[in-house]
Amino acid sequence: MRTHPRLMLFSLAACAIYTLAYYFDWSLFRYYLGTGTFGLSAPASAGAPILWYGWLATAVLGGAVVAGITPRSWTTRLSPELAWLIPAVAMLAAFMYELRWFL
Amino acid sequence: MMTALLILHGLLAVALLGAVTHQALAASAPRNEPRTRSFFTRFRKTDAGAYGTPVAILFVLVMIAGAILYPRYRLVVRPLLQTLDLRAANGAFELKEHFSALGLLLLPAYWSCWKQPLEPAYDGARLWLTWIIALTVWWNFVVGQLLVSIKGLGV
Repeated sequence: MRTHPRLMLFSLAACAIYTLAYYFDWSLFRYYLGTGTFGLSAPASAGAPILWYGWLATAVLGGAVVAGITPRSWTTRLSPELAWLIPAVAMLAAFMYELRWFL
Repeated sequence: MMTALLILHGLLAVALLGAVTHQALAASAPRNEPRTRSFFTRFRKTDAGAYGTPVAILFVLVMIAGAILYPRYRLVVRPLLQTLDLRAANGAFELKEHFSALGLLLLPAYWSCWKQPLEPAYDGARLWLTWIIALTVWWNFVVGQLLVSIKGLGV
């Protein structure tokens, strides 16, 4: 079998976790524009934070953990249809979340 | 330096756009399509399987350049959009941000689906994942070009 079930699972879990990360603000770290540094917290003088890098890191870490700890017998039973269905739902969720800008 | 990186980001995006569009259309072409001499048919006759790894590599390179440019966008371009009250442009970039991240996270599944020999069980997933990546790239490219048109190259 050439298609790697763990890579599939990583993508699915990471897409779902990224969606939760920006919705609930689960940022692993922040980048501060004023100081140009990464950190967990900073004084007000550090300027506005960028959360996107942290959301991405949360998703990558979460996806890796899920793909790493899930038993192989479970990953091989993963439906191929989920491989595109979950990302499509995640894209739709992002669109709905940002719809406020267009109204 | 940042202007040069923005141009490189754009050029890499053009290469990615071409590759993934070619692949998506080729993957959608029915295998028993009769041979014709039309440009569109020939365009779709390409070997879609050959694009998997190049698309993944180009996507990562475009993302790296975009991630380096992102703080400059927040410092220079976003305040301009807010001053001009261009809410739709601001929102379009917010979507570009999410679509880029989701596209990047999808790459392992996408790349795995296109590994040779292709598994028939993943035909549907392969096609849809390719179209999701293609639509992501198209959205991000168009929004990027619109924002450069609004702000200009002097980032």
